[in-house]
Amino acid sequence: MKISRKWIEQLVDLNGVSDQDIATRLTMAGIEVESFENLSEKYNGFVVGSVMEVVKHPNADKLRLCQVDIAGEIKSIICGAPNVSAGQKVPVGLVGALVPHDQHDPDGKPFQLTRAKIRGIESEGMICSEYELALGDDKNGIMVFEEDAPTGKPLAEYLGMDDTIFEVSLTPNRADCLSHLGIARELSSAFSRKLNPKKPSLHETGEPIAKAAKVEVSDPELCPRYSARVVKGIKIGRSPRWLRVAVEKAGMRSINNVVDATNYVMLELGQPLHAFDLNLIEGHKIIVRRPHESEMKFATLDGKERALSSDMLMICDKDSTIAIAGVMGGANSEINPVTTDILIESANFSPSSVRRTSKKLGLSTEASYRFERGVDPNLTLAALDRVTEIIVQTGGGTVAQGVIDIASTKFAPRRIELHVDQVNRLLGTRLASGEIRRLLESIEIHCDKKSETIFVCFAPTFRGDLEREVDLIEEVGRLYGYEKIEEQHQTRLVFDTRFKETNNTEDLKGYLAGSGFNEIVTNSLQPTDVAGFHSESFVKIANPISEDMASLRTSLLPGALQVVKLNLSYGLKDLKLFEMGRIYSSNGGSNGESFAETEMLSILLTGSADPISFDRNGSEFDIFDLKTEVERLLKHLNLDNWDFIPYDSTREYKQVLKLFMNGSEVGILGQVSETALDKFSIKQGVYFAELNLAEILSARKKTNKFHPLPKFPFASFDLAFIVDSSTPVGSLINSLKSLAGNLFRDIYVFDIYSGSGIPEGKISVAFSVILGSDERTLNDGDIARFIENAESKLAKEFAAALRKQSTK
Amino acid sequence: MGMLEEIEKLKEEATASLAHIKTPDDAENFRLKFLSRRGSLAQLFEEMKQIPKEEKPGIGKLLNEVRTQLESEFESAREKSESEKKRELGRIDLSIPGRKRYIGRKHPLTQTAEEIKRIFTSIGFGTADGPEIEDDYHNFEALNFPPDHPARDMQDTFFVKPVQTKEGNETGKYVLRTHTSGVQIRVMENNKPPVRVIMPGRVYRNEAISSRSYCLFHQVEGLYVDKNVSLAELKGTITYFAKEFFGSGVKLRFRPSFFPFTEPSAEVDVNCFICSGKGCRICKYTGWLEIMGCGMVDPNVFKFVGYDEKEVSGYAFGMGIERITLLKYGIDDIRLFFENDVRFLNQF
Repeated sequence: MKISRKWIEQLVDLNGVSDQDIATRLTMAGIEVESFENLSEKYNGFVVGSVMEVVKHPNADKLRLCQVDIAGEIKSIICGAPNVSAGQKVPVGLVGALVPHDQHDPDGKPFQLTRAKIRGIESEGMICSEYELALGDDKNGIMVFEEDAPTGKPLAEYLGMDDTIFEVSLTPNRADCLSHLGIARELSSAFSRKLNPKKPSLHETGEPIAKAAKVEVSDPELCPRYSARVVKGIKIGRSPRWLRVAVEKAGMRSINNVVDATNYVMLELGQPLHAFDLNLIEGHKIIVRRPHESEMKFATLDGKERALSSDMLMICDKDSTIAIAGVMGGANSEINPVTTDILIESANFSPSSVRRTSKKLGLSTEASYRFERGVDPNLTLAALDRVTEIIVQTGGGTVAQGVIDIASTKFAPRRIELHVDQVNRLLGTRLASGEIRRLLESIEIHCDKKSETIFVCFAPTFRGDLEREVDLIEEVGRLYGYEKIEEQHQTRLVFDTRFKETNNTEDLKGYLAGSGFNEIVTNSLQPTDVAGFHSESFVKIANPISEDMASLRTSLLPGALQVVKLNLSYGLKDLKLFEMGRIYSSNGGSNGESFAETEMLSILLTGSADPISFDRNGSEFDIFDLKTEVERLLKHLNLDNWDFIPYDSTREYKQVLKLFMNGSEVGILGQVSETALDKFSIKQGVYFAELNLAEILSARKKTNKFHPLPKFPFASFDLAFIVDSSTPVGSLINSLKSLAGNLFRDIYVFDIYSGSGIPEGKISVAFSVILGSDERTLNDGDIARFIENAESKLAKEFAAALRKQSTK
Repeated sequence: MGMLEEIEKLKEEATASLAHIKTPDDAENFRLKFLSRRGSLAQLFEEMKQIPKEEKPGIGKLLNEVRTQLESEFESAREKSESEKKRELGRIDLSIPGRKRYIGRKHPLTQTAEEIKRIFTSIGFGTADGPEIEDDYHNFEALNFPPDHPARDMQDTFFVKPVQTKEGNETGKYVLRTHTSGVQIRVMENNKPPVRVIMPGRVYRNEAISSRSYCLFHQVEGLYVDKNVSLAELKGTITYFAKEFFGSGVKLRFRPSFFPFTEPSAEVDVNCFICSGKGCRICKYTGWLEIMGCGMVDPNVFKFVGYDEKEVSGYAFGMGIERITLLKYGIDDIRLFFENDVRFLNQF
């Protein structure tokens, strides 16, 4: 909201207070000033000039040489505008002034006026158009002022631009500050200056209002108060400059003298107003009601047709709807150039009703914005008087005697008890009761003493947000100044194990980073087809920003591939990445929840396994690098019981393993399929693992017991078997493991070979086996026995032939 | 040729060869030629079998002497050749850089979140967690956002499309949580006071994506409810946090604000550390940077969770991890956090 300092100064004396002081004090009172601009600085170097003489430029047909009086000096100025003539009062920019818009620049950039020769003759300034001064869109000629514009007057002053505009950002509770009066009230409190509200004077010389118009409110719940006045015989026209400038400085468009007056009073007092052409109100009667079945379409005054619903409140005449209450007037009753008689509405509408209507119509207006937040129900009459005064002043006319005022109830200040000790308990202060009273009364909250420590306070009707004691405590704190409340430190130490973090990931993230993985954080909103690619039960957004983000992710894979794609586009093709984040499902599962969220861990490998060095050739990552990383991770977490089960390729993966722990599937890893990669135009191999983080973390042993160190050395030896190339190496290992029984310590595969010396269709698999015993040192005989048994066992199970043996 | 001459010849030949041992390979060749089991010396010992008995002791002694001498000379030559090799190695160009390896880092958002958590954990806060797909009650209603209230406009909300449950009912009104404040409600619903927790997590806003806003971000929420908790204590806690996080020189400003679930409410600003409060583009020439919202838990919230407002009071606060990280490092585009360009990630 834009607040004008000049306007405020009509309501409270701010002499000697700087713009910065105003901004700071308002901000510290909870009314945030985002920025402020001194408009007169914008028009430094511009004055009102009086054109004395206009002659043709001797060297150019379209240019004219003007002598312009700027009080005390005659400037010689070259002007190309067709409408310049002697006797005019015009805006003149002098050398050095910054012209807000360059008419010849496509973007209208500002430029600085310099002393320049145009076709051989020097120009000492510039006569400006509305566009050049950023006062309007007109580029077709220079601006021409009223004849009585004072020659030599600084332009800002003449235009009413000798002002500072504050951009105020209000929180939804402070509806009372949606006006200059509300802001002035805060400033009067902040600077201890007296508030001087305007006292309108009216001459009610027309007929009694009861003869001119009638109002009937058939839905008092949605319209607690409806007040109206009638003015006849007015002349509709352009607003005087002061009114136009005031409305425009506040960011609204000037329409005509009547509409501008209603907007002006809304900006001044906060009461939205609407003027109807009285002669377009059928039967001169206003009925406030909901629309009938047959009235579900309505043309608002912005020329758009709106679809109504039966819960909306309408302003109607005898026959039909003429305005949407609190939102916008209708085209069928709006003020037009031939309007002479008007009815001015100053009403109070239910905030939630206006809000629902505005939301449904997708139509938010200055009026609806204020009604939604709550307007003082006792403001209708004061606003009516003020707007009537201005309308008569600018458009003439006769004011009907009296006022229509239909109120469902009396609107009295709210009575709230305030305990002094409660104030100090919540704020952590030691304020005396007198101080509390002084603070509250500075913003018109009247306080009666009930006892030494209890006040009965009366919250004025313009502060609808003050309902409870705590609301008053906030006012006390705010007005006293948060900055004056002394910091205290925690008074009580609480030992509490209820909020211990069970699945802390700090260490795991540190481990992964240390293993060379960069952590990524990706968007959990994805296109519906991507979410659906990985799971059928996915969560859809009812109001997405775009189709690209219409569903919640069902896998961390697409987000990670997006990251690969982005980095590839910068030529970064060697990547180790990990992510921890949730995936979402619309299948809540067994515990009765509607939706499920699962914490996942993903790791991704792509590019070179051994990035470039001077002496070793880097090889590309493969599935075993991925398997290695997953195994290292599980070992890091002190897990020791898991299985990798190879599976058929899926849509996402072509080489795929599933990870099982304690019989349940906790993850999947594999080489990402071309189908999946194609969606991201990725041409290199990507290896991806996605693990259920919550399950893996919870599988960690609660306590990890110490095992005594082995007393006897282990025996380590190699042996190799020739088997069919289709034999899974994993099964050979399992067979050897079970053979070793409790002597088993470890086993590695150190060579897999086919080719010369090995029959066609066979492979040689070489193992390094480590055996040990808790009772004794194993001897050569033990090992020879093991090898002998292994030979016959594997021969039986896999038709394997022992190839060679050696002890280390 | 007699045996003696042969021995003499071998000795000469071997001695000459010894002088040419430069590398370990030379040494090995020498060993194979002269000293190995099939070497020339071994052959001479073989020939000993054929010489007359009476000559054997003399020749044998000589042969043994030669062997001992050659072996010892060979050993020193071999050692010398190895140290030659070492010296050779010493001449390798050590200006060649080390081999490139993958360097990983925690995401800057994680680093900020962990630091925030560390500070609050150190002063007695526990942690709690809640769902991102949240019902209207926990995200709004119990936090004192009445239906049809303009306060709901403070946060642009994503609504979740209802689905059929197994029982055939439609799910109720769900949103993607707009703040972590709903976790406050869950914590108080399930735990008697006192409670002191922080609640980190991902939140969503239905806003156009730009350099300044993204459709999701991360928050850390804090809540402390106990007997006689005051605004002064909230100020003390937040000030301690800010000094730990931004440095002890930081200046703070608490200014009144509005949140439906706190009363009184405040926004916390720190003095702009980019311009030290003089005014710059980042602080929009105000000299202050907004870092969090906070306030005293509204009595209506206590009513919803069944706490007695006469018995307890409490404070709550919430801050955006992205915002604080942007400010801390002077990052000018929030989207960088979610693009994960490794050149960006590697800076933190």
